[in-house]
Amino acid sequence: MQKYSASFLGRDCPGVVAVVSSLFGESRCNIEAMTQTTLCGEFAAIFVVIAPENLSLDDLRKNLVDGLAATKVDLSVMLRPAIGQAWGAGLELEPFVITIDGPDGPGIIGAMSRILGRHGVNIENLQAILGEMSEGRALFIFEVLVPKTTDLGRLRRELVHEAQKLNLNASIQHRDIFEAVNRVSSF
Amino acid sequence: MLSDREVTSTLNMLRNEHLDVRTITLGISLFDCASHDLDLFIGNIRAKLAKYASRLVSVCDEVGSRYGIPIVNKRISVSPIAVVGAPFGSGGMVEICRALDAAAEEAGVDFLGGFSALVDKGFAKGDANLVEALPEALASTKRVCSSINVASSRTGINMDAVALMGRQILAVAEATRESGGIGCAKLVVFANIPQDVPFMAGAYLGVGEPDVVINVGVSGPGVVRKAIDRALQSGLDSTGRPLTLLDMAEVIKTTAYKVTRVGQMIGTQVANELGLPFGVADLSLAPTPAVGDSVGEIFQSLGLSSIGAPGSTAVLAMLNDAVKKGGAFASSSVGGLSGAFIPVSEDSSIEEAARKGFLSMEKLEAMTSVCSVGLDMIAVPGDTPAETISAIIADEMAIGVINHKTTAVRLIPVPGKGVGEEVSFGGLLGKAAIMSVPKGTASGFITLGGRIPAPISSLKN
Repeated sequence: MQKYSASFLGRDCPGVVAVVSSLFGESRCNIEAMTQTTLCGEFAAIFVVIAPENLSLDDLRKNLVDGLAATKVDLSVMLRPAIGQAWGAGLELEPFVITIDGPDGPGIIGAMSRILGRHGVNIENLQAILGEMSEGRALFIFEVLVPKTTDLGRLRRELVHEAQKLNLNASIQHRDIFEAVNRVSSF
Repeated sequence: MLSDREVTSTLNMLRNEHLDVRTITLGISLFDCASHDLDLFIGNIRAKLAKYASRLVSVCDEVGSRYGIPIVNKRISVSPIAVVGAPFGSGGMVEICRALDAAAEEAGVDFLGGFSALVDKGFAKGDANLVEALPEALASTKRVCSSINVASSRTGINMDAVALMGRQILAVAEATRESGGIGCAKLVVFANIPQDVPFMAGAYLGVGEPDVVINVGVSGPGVVRKAIDRALQSGLDSTGRPLTLLDMAEVIKTTAYKVTRVGQMIGTQVANELGLPFGVADLSLAPTPAVGDSVGEIFQSLGLSSIGAPGSTAVLAMLNDAVKKGGAFASSSVGGLSGAFIPVSEDSSIEEAARKGFLSMEKLEAMTSVCSVGLDMIAVPGDTPAETISAIIADEMAIGVINHKTTAVRLIPVPGKGVGEEVSFGGLLGKAAIMSVPKGTASGFITLGGRIPAPISSLKN
């Protein structure tokens, strides 16, 4: 049994997931996990599939590329052996939400993510919302996993300091607070 | 994955609407500290408070920082001192109060509650000595709060205690004359006092409570007000139907749910970190003098010119009920006072309404029949007769006893000042214009003393 991960990027349209999943089925691959999103008309998806022993990476790539071309779905595909386990196995991690908001400008995500990387904090999800609060303003929502060994106070100070240099507000809060406020669930 | 709406609405509550946890109160039983020897008793108290309270502030700060929710106040409540310190005279009670004050300072908390007596049916020796000690005890300490329960629905109203408290409130005011009678801001007279109140000045740890427990007081008047304002911005629901008070009650209920969830989560985390049981979440809407953190402003959002205008009692009834409904769904451990507070000096909008004459003592009394506490943080003339203060207390106690609810009185007779003059207590206690008391005298009624019997619990009309 071998696992491959395939990522797709291209024009979003109805039926795009059906096409991709059918192509995996035709190659006798079983979809083990997948995630997809759309952004400004673009479709992006990651599939992790279990492939038959005799199906090589190159064979599956060819099947997918040829299949997409035949169905005229405008998608690019990248295929590679799947990574065995998610980042952070063996680490004690806590989910936090970092929000950065203020006037939009270049370099915000880069500046913040460099600090996160330096502290060993992994970004699980990142949303950039532009213009919703007011014209020219941006809100960046980083959902991150923070190792328990991370100095949270220092991380906060560095984020706030960097944000202030860019005239932005920064906050970091445990994710549970957002769930507690907005969702009906026990904690 | 969180939605952007979930994130932005939570951030707005935190940044612009004063969402916070108003108090984490560490309840500590002092029954195992009892001794006939005053020094030994005080030593036991100091040791137990130090053992459990030393980490309270640092843990609260750490948890508040992790969740991004300010825990505004960290406090301690203890067993009623009149009971655990029963062997000691009034001088001993003063010494105990000072020891509690020193312990509170050492723990870094702003208030410690429990210099209290439960006298709804009569005075034991310890009760009498504690009440006698109040002027000196409250004048010589900064952080200790006192509550005296003089009435309950099961026993009626102890009118001897009511009469005595009228005199003692004046004595406490006189003893703290230099600071505008501020000692009275730390002294509340109750009917049906709950055993687990986390809010000051009424906090104490009742005899049925655990040895050590964490109680949390949530807040959120600013959050409720903004939620109402947002809903009323268009005035229509998603189908285009005009919004009514039924919709407003729903908005308040939903918001109270969110606020209570925050309080319960933070309280539970603090309790876990300290290795202590979590007790209750008190769902009260507790204002501060800050603009935007006011219960009174909610009345304006709901269409009244100010709190005190006709309709105020109805608005408060709806507000109080909706807060309880939302909070009760959010937490199975609801306790304390749970409702809306209307402390005059501590709420900028209520204080303004009182100063401009829209809110009288009589209207406040009417409103307390439907809210969680009572006549709270009201400055009255320093020359108000003791019998008048007692009679105001008796009226308020009657509302609580007959309606099977908690009511309380925290009046501050300001020495040397009269109606309309201003007094400032500073910080969360705020400022207030001195309010006139109802006309007429009650000296004959108060002099009669004795007890007003407990009410019948059938024939409810």
